[in-house]
Amino acid sequence: MRGYSFRYFLAEGFKGLWRNGFMSLASVAVLTSCLIVLGAFSTLVANINFNLELIGSVNQIVTFLEPELTDEEILAIRDNILAMDNVSDVKYISKEDAYNSEKEKYSEYPELFAKLENDNPYNASLVVTYVNVDQVPTLQYNLNQIDGIYKISYRSDIAAGIRNFKNTVIFVSLWFLILLLLVSLFVIINTINIAIFSRRQEIGIMRYIGATNWFISVPFIIEGVLIGLISAAIAFVVDWNVYRYIESVIGSDIKFIMVMPFSQLMWMLVGSFAVIGFLCGAIGSLISLQRYMKA
Amino acid sequence: MIEFSKVKKVYPNGTVALDNVSFYVGDAEFAFIVGASGAGKSTIAKLLLREEKVTAGQLVVNEMHLNDMPDRVVPYYRRQIGMVFQDFRLFPNKTVYENVAFAMQVVGEPARNIRRRVPALLDVVGLSDKLKRFPDELSGGEQQRVALARALANNPKVIIADEPTGNIDPQMSMEIMNLLVKINKNNNKTVLVVTHEKALVDYFQKRVITLSEGHIIGDRIGGMFE
Ligand SMILES: Nc1ncnc2c1ncn2[C@@H]1O[C@H](COP(=O)(O)OP(=O)(O)OP(=O)(O)O)[C@@H](O)[C@H]1O
Ligand SMILES: [Mg+2]
Repeated sequence: MRGYSFRYFLAEGFKGLWRNGFMSLASVAVLTSCLIVLGAFSTLVANINFNLELIGSVNQIVTFLEPELTDEEILAIRDNILAMDNVSDVKYISKEDAYNSEKEKYSEYPELFAKLENDNPYNASLVVTYVNVDQVPTLQYNLNQIDGIYKISYRSDIAAGIRNFKNTVIFVSLWFLILLLLVSLFVIINTINIAIFSRRQEIGIMRYIGATNWFISVPFIIEGVLIGLISAAIAFVVDWNVYRYIESVIGSDIKFIMVMPFSQLMWMLVGSFAVIGFLCGAIGSLISLQRYMKA
Repeated sequence: MIEFSKVKKVYPNGTVALDNVSFYVGDAEFAFIVGASGAGKSTIAKLLLREEKVTAGQLVVNEMHLNDMPDRVVPYYRRQIGMVFQDFRLFPNKTVYENVAFAMQVVGEPARNIRRRVPALLDVVGLSDKLKRFPDELSGGEQQRVALARALANNPKVIIADEPTGNIDPQMSMEIMNLLVKINKNNNKTVLVVTHEKALVDYFQKRVITLSEGHIIGDRIGGMFE
């Protein structure tokens, strides 16, 4: 039975990292920065999505009704709106519903609502869910034509603002990432190049005693992969702690932004860091090996 | 075993190192290759290792045609050839034991076989008491004996030595040469030794192939250095 010992390859990979200390460190530093930025951007985008969902009413227009309308009139308005283009649903929220939901929201201040009980200041409304955001101006116009509706509230500004912000973040982070990944790859290629160069004599002897290119290459590939995985681990720990810090600040000081619990992001981060770190290291090593393994 | 037929070797810079070289070395035969500096002796060794390819002619080793051997096969071919160099080419950061063991590791030999075989090999070359030394803690003759043990590690059919005694004092040289002769006799290996040492060649009375400026000018059994 022939067999190659994985322990040999792993030990050689670690030795290579150590021997090549400064360059290994540089590679880890660059790749780690890249992954930290990736983590920061992707958790930011995830949180934007999370908050967009929480806002929920992003594809809804709230129309407030004149207080003196009768039930029949409200029903008629409802049917009228339902018949319009671009409308998928209309939901009636009575004065009482509105009062109760607000009361629930501010459950920490029950005394505030006790005073309001007999003089409900909220208006009944119809919540219109639309289909296409582009045709909202037309819909708004049509809703304004209806008698009995005294105010329309469309949070297009907020939703669109958040969306724009998200798109900008994604755009900037993508370019940043591509740039940083290229730099990381370049540094890893250089590191492995130096590793191979400093061992060229040993590699020469290995060839004389019948070592295959595969046998010669594996330690260098492992060295590259180790650089990738070490970077991934460091970047994860950094992002995790930064996230927890930000979470504690925002969680206590800013009420209207919700921060996703880290546990929901953890596996996404672990997975993408590990995969990107692994691939960067492996591809970098393979590129630099390719040049030396011709003969 | 080894067959050169009308081999010509021209290096990329235009130097004609070998021209119309033909000779045959049979199974378990021993031959010296001698000649002045630049005659083409090392080129023969490089061709045999498939480090260089012939420019024209045929080179067949152990029934394998080296001319059309794909690169990917070369490592497996080299395992059938034990090579010894003038400058030893040991791994400086591996011990005597590890240097020999590594040659077996490279071909995927199981650890158990390695543990059994390496001490035996080092016993053959008389280094059983220096297993843990590093190459720079050994004399030239001792280093060359490690290299010889390593060349034997994977039980090759052929041993090729390019000036194995070039960096060794005369007394040690005799010992190395004796070992090569012994390996040829006891283990039935084909042994090819490139050398400059007239005294040794004359002493052993073996086959001598003489090269001059890339041509064979002499090939005699029981020959002398000329
Ligand atoms: N890689 C090379 N490129 C170009 N020319 C070479 C190369 N290697 C050897 N030569 C030339 O080929 C000729 C034969 O060289 P070779 O090394 O075979 O000689 P040699 O007989 O081993 O000499 P020595 O006894 O000095 O080792 C010489 O003229 C040498 O300069
Ligand atoms: Mg030579």
